[in-house]
Amino acid sequence: MDCEDVRLHLHDDQRGHLGPELHRELRTHLEGCPACAHEEAAEHMLTEVLERRLPQHPASLALKRRLLAQWPAAPVESRPWWKGWRRALVPALASALVLAVGLPLYHELWSGARGDATAMVAEAVNDHVRVLQRDRPLDVESGGIHEVKPWFAGRLDFAPVVSFEGDAEFPLQGGAVGYFVDRKAAVFVYKRRLHPVSLFVFRAEGLPWPARGLTPIGGGAGYTSVSRGFNVILWRAGDLGYALVSDVDARELGRLAAKLARG
Amino acid sequence: MRTRGEQDPGAGLGREALAYVDTLHNLARYLTGNETDAEDLVQETYARALKAADQFTPGTNLKAWLFRILRNTFLSSYRRQRASPLVGGLDTVDPAHQGVADEAWLRDDVELDRLRKLVAEEIEAALLTLSEEGRTVILLDLEGLTETEAAQVLGCAVGTVKSRLARARSALRQRLKDYAR
Repeated sequence: MDCEDVRLHLHDDQRGHLGPELHRELRTHLEGCPACAHEEAAEHMLTEVLERRLPQHPASLALKRRLLAQWPAAPVESRPWWKGWRRALVPALASALVLAVGLPLYHELWSGARGDATAMVAEAVNDHVRVLQRDRPLDVESGGIHEVKPWFAGRLDFAPVVSFEGDAEFPLQGGAVGYFVDRKAAVFVYKRRLHPVSLFVFRAEGLPWPARGLTPIGGGAGYTSVSRGFNVILWRAGDLGYALVSDVDARELGRLAAKLARG
Repeated sequence: MRTRGEQDPGAGLGREALAYVDTLHNLARYLTGNETDAEDLVQETYARALKAADQFTPGTNLKAWLFRILRNTFLSSYRRQRASPLVGGLDTVDPAHQGVADEAWLRDDVELDRLRKLVAEEIEAALLTLSEEGRTVILLDLEGLTETEAAQVLGCAVGTVKSRLARARSALRQRLKDYAR
């Protein structure tokens, strides 16, 4: 592996996407090449600067309301509707309609008042599948919870609260940084026999948490669902949200959720 | 064409799709460079997504699918209309100017330290000077898309994503140098 190869792979290595053999080759090269070692430091710093300080521009509440009000429960018009919706041309009548109809709907979806967690369940399953499909699902292999949790320091803007260390039934495999909807998540991967189980821990605010259909989990309450063959359990604890996903039996997943939720 | 009485497939797509509005808007904001156009772009993206809802394959990455629609919409709708001086051009990443950045300064620890002290506005301004392609590939990477997913968004080969990302990051580092004084 020469310097050009190394530099092309530095970012993949940083993301934990390199296979073990390439990773070893790259590390060997870095140890003997000060220029590439500097390059690696610069790449790390650039990522840190972007992840921590690049301004984020979330959609305004007004845009969310408009989208929700326009989203069909009704059929889609064949006419390109946005041509009549642009900028200041939005008619006063539409604004009134948005407030009258869109606001309650907005609250249903974005605050979860109606308790429909379809989007969150689907997101949890997608994220679980994505973790499994990565070349290296784990960014850090487990040497125990006290090795995995500190690894997240500096990689997330919150501290994931997970105290279950794994046991013979659900051994902890390791962790990774992932995403849940629009935010970063700490991913803890446990195992039940040959089945991987992903636990996503993320900031809970602003998501459509279900308010109904909850069942007791540990000392609190959670929402259990099935999507595309995967069992999903969602719950909140303080500022943090938790999504547990696997294709293991629902009762087994419930046992693990109880161990995790007990703190 | 659907009639009023028929079930609309977009309705099923909707609740999941709307969960991505913040991330879509963020990319739109960095593509257009201003709030008004970003909101228009996101609205148009969702309109197109609704129309194409039956083309979405359940089980694939919805976020990447929406990103692709947003970028294609941007390219088709805004390329002709916008030439904002606030944002970098729409041209593809030019290796002659962006890919072969002089990175010697970054090998100096003092410069690394200066870079560390950049403020948010400076980082945003530097990102906005990159080409559309450069901004997009960097933001997709930050969003956690895999190279395969990013390739689907950009409509190119996976290997191309890797090289474009490397060039864009190199160009960004070079631009950041101007702010780190």
